[in-house]
Amino acid sequence: MRVAVTGTPGTGKTTATERLAERRDDVDVVHLNAVIESEGLYESVDEERDSVVADLDALAAWVDDYATDADVVVLDSHLAHHLDADRVAVLRCAPETLADRLRERGESDAKAAENAESEALDVVLSEAVETHGLDAVYEIETTQSSPDAVADALAGVVDGTREPTAGDVDYLDYL
Amino acid sequence: MAEQEDDKWGVAHVHASFNNTVMTVTDLTGAETIAKSSGGTAVKQNRDEASPYAAMQMVESIADEIRAAGIEGLHVRVRGPGGNLQKSPGPGAQAAIRALAREDFEIGRIEDVTPIPHDGSRAPKGKGGF
Ligand SMILES: Nc1ncnc2c1ncn2[C@@H]1O[C@H](COP(=O)(O)OP(=O)(O)O)[C@@H](O)[C@H]1O
Ligand SMILES: [Mg+2]
Repeated sequence: MRVAVTGTPGTGKTTATERLAERRDDVDVVHLNAVIESEGLYESVDEERDSVVADLDALAAWVDDYATDADVVVLDSHLAHHLDADRVAVLRCAPETLADRLRERGESDAKAAENAESEALDVVLSEAVETHGLDAVYEIETTQSSPDAVADALAGVVDGTREPTAGDVDYLDYL
Repeated sequence: MAEQEDDKWGVAHVHASFNNTVMTVTDLTGAETIAKSSGGTAVKQNRDEASPYAAMQMVESIADEIRAAGIEGLHVRVRGPGGNLQKSPGPGAQAAIRALAREDFEIGRIEDVTPIPHDGSRAPKGKGGF
């Protein structure tokens, strides 16, 4: 089974999926942002955002070729919802907190601001629901949660003990 | 002449989130807020149906205020995909634009300024953002 873990940068995907990988031998976590970079899976460069424009077809092909013995492959990336997946976890975080986290991680103000605005407007959630449908999307609010608590929630998605949800948060006040 | 022309134009900033559409109308510089809608919340069970209706009500609630400020035409800046990406911009934003036209505002430029999540990489246009 394939589980996409997506969400605006800064929502804590990499931190939580690392925790999940530490505890579960049956789960193989793949950090796709690192793969895009190391394998050169991009079609152009967005200079303004200091980001490459990912080649999603090449990324999908890479994931399909990726051989693993694990029962569950977890794909960590803010682009993971653009790929095939059985379930899609969407991590959410209050925009102010998300911007603080990104700046603390050393990102520029411009990057923190655009990502915070994306989060306020539910951009990733809307895309995830549009691509995968309400039955496959699991929205996880993480603003006050520890990384371990987020990993618990992800385990619930993987194990099928959590119900699909979308649209429970409202961050529009941020704007 | 040119000044008079500018005076009657404003900018409608439409913010379309998953469940909600909010509109703020400003002067051309964006500095002065002329009207702010409280936002139309879509009924979750029937998002596609509900959101155009909510957007219409939102426009109705601020139309008089915009007119009172002497605004006759509006440029539209849409931020956010709304709950449904099949149309660009989303149904909430489209409904808001139609409702503005129905209230007899002239519609000028329509721009999509949806932010793009990025973290060293981003999705191509049309796959996230528009
Ligand atoms: N649950 C959490 N609570 C507080 N801070 C967190 C949490 N998860 C991650 N962080 C911090 O926020 C920043 C972004 O986390 P990261 O896991 O890199 O997010 P993503 O992979 O979604 O971009 C990091 O500096 C990380 O230490
Ligand atoms: Mg990450």
